[in-house]
Amino acid sequence: MTGPTPILFANVSKTFFKHDGTPFFACRELSFEVKAREIVAIVGETGCGKSTSFNMLLGLQKPDVGDIQVLGLDPFSESDALRGQVGIIFQSDRLLPWRTTIENISFGLEVLNIPLTQRRQTAGKWLERVGLKGFEDAYPHELSGGMRQRVSIARAFAIEPKILYADEAFTALDELTAERIRKDLLELIRETAITTLFITHSVSEAVDIAQRVLVFGRPGCLICEINCEENRAAGKSTHEIEQLIRQGLRAAHKTVSVEGVVTDEVVRAEGSTSKGREPI
Amino acid sequence: MSNTTSTHPSGGIKFIGELGAALRAQQPLFVGLCVMAVLWQVSTYFLPRIIAPPLQEIGVAMWQIFSDYQQFVHLLTTGLRVLVALIVSFIVGSILGIAMGTFDEVSKYAKPLLHFIQGIPALSWVVFAVIWFANVELRIGFILLIVTMPAFALYIDGAVRSVNLDFVHLGQAFRANWTQRFRMITIPAIVPEVMSAWVVNLGAGVRVAMVAELIGSTAGVGFQLLNAQALFDMAGAIAWTLSLVALLSVYLGVIRFVESRLLAWRPKGERQ
Repeated sequence: MTGPTPILFANVSKTFFKHDGTPFFACRELSFEVKAREIVAIVGETGCGKSTSFNMLLGLQKPDVGDIQVLGLDPFSESDALRGQVGIIFQSDRLLPWRTTIENISFGLEVLNIPLTQRRQTAGKWLERVGLKGFEDAYPHELSGGMRQRVSIARAFAIEPKILYADEAFTALDELTAERIRKDLLELIRETAITTLFITHSVSEAVDIAQRVLVFGRPGCLICEINCEENRAAGKSTHEIEQLIRQGLRAAHKTVSVEGVVTDEVVRAEGSTSKGREPI
Repeated sequence: MSNTTSTHPSGGIKFIGELGAALRAQQPLFVGLCVMAVLWQVSTYFLPRIIAPPLQEIGVAMWQIFSDYQQFVHLLTTGLRVLVALIVSFIVGSILGIAMGTFDEVSKYAKPLLHFIQGIPALSWVVFAVIWFANVELRIGFILLIVTMPAFALYIDGAVRSVNLDFVHLGQAFRANWTQRFRMITIPAIVPEVMSAWVVNLGAGVRVAMVAELIGSTAGVGFQLLNAQALFDMAGAIAWTLSLVALLSVYLGVIRFVESRLLAWRPKGERQ
């Protein structure tokens, strides 16, 4: 596969400042890449920089140090060039309450200035694809949580993006609904062969969806990387792969328990070193 | 799945249903008005005619207002003045409110000034306008603009600032440009506050127009009230007042209708 790497993080650091001026490291020298057509999941506990990384990928925040590239472009300064290239599924569906289902799915198409008839046609096709035919004119408040997330998935795919980001897309749903929609989403991802970056805090969800799992620890750094496909090929069961990831999370957690729950000064020290982490 | 969506009856039936529901909602008002009318009529048997004219006399005076064009034109004049001034005020207030909501620097300087203007009594503006402007329409237009525009600007500023950040981020994530985000997210999001500003300003506009016409005009309901006062014509004063209330009700009805159309997406419980 030629062309630029779909997602590239190179030594990215991002620091926020608390109200009293003390720094809080959201990401520290974070490096990883997602290759074309790859499905990668990021797992990690709360506060490990998943959302900050996601926001930087979306171009909503700029890294202090390091380089982020999406399809070879800087998502912050070259935002316009990425229009229509990236589909997003958020944790909350973020459906616009004043738009009907079909209008919500058309949102990204409207941004791309696609003519009305064409975008209604495309949106209709995706509406049917996610199993919501007949709900074209329903407003978001008339839909259940699962249906709303399906609309959100259709909105992401309708623009035919090259990359898909999903940020804890099923967290707000009950387990049964989440499982059903996850299965459908995975089917769509495989069908469209789209490069996917999936952020989740569920280990089983990560193993279920991803070919590769990146385990994040505090402060926003990569603890380890588990290649699910290689492990499966080596004869490891899903349970064993999950155990590997949990081991990584425990190592990340241990780092936090030693360094995180401490004074601000130690938080600063924590960001400057990776000592204390257990090898996986 | 299908039971989660509402069924949509045909347009005509839906409209009649909505009208019936609206009338039923006004039932307490009708009852209150009837009680007041009965009490008024009873009081006319005990009070002098000049203080409490009977309902028939007020009815005749009202009939004259609506049947005699020479009189009706005064009601129209006031109605038109309020309408034009509010539209101009809304346009100016919207531009300023959006600029304030978008750019902190504009808000920093404009907000204190608007609060200062709001602090000046409407009557003071009437006096200033009488001194500053010779033209009657300009005078009344200026007063209405200066009294209602700050409220429009402040309401819209607040609405623009309180647009859900999740939706703004959605627009940014899909790489919508500023114009697209404004059209697709900001405008629909601020509609409820804009409608509230219209309701508030309509009442304020009518009251201020009255004062302005009382002092500085030779046409309009305010001027007719001044005439009624000079002639000690209580029935006429009440009839003109009731006509004005009727005009205000028509305007409010139009606003509510527009609101119900623009906010049809809201769940029923959230609609006013």
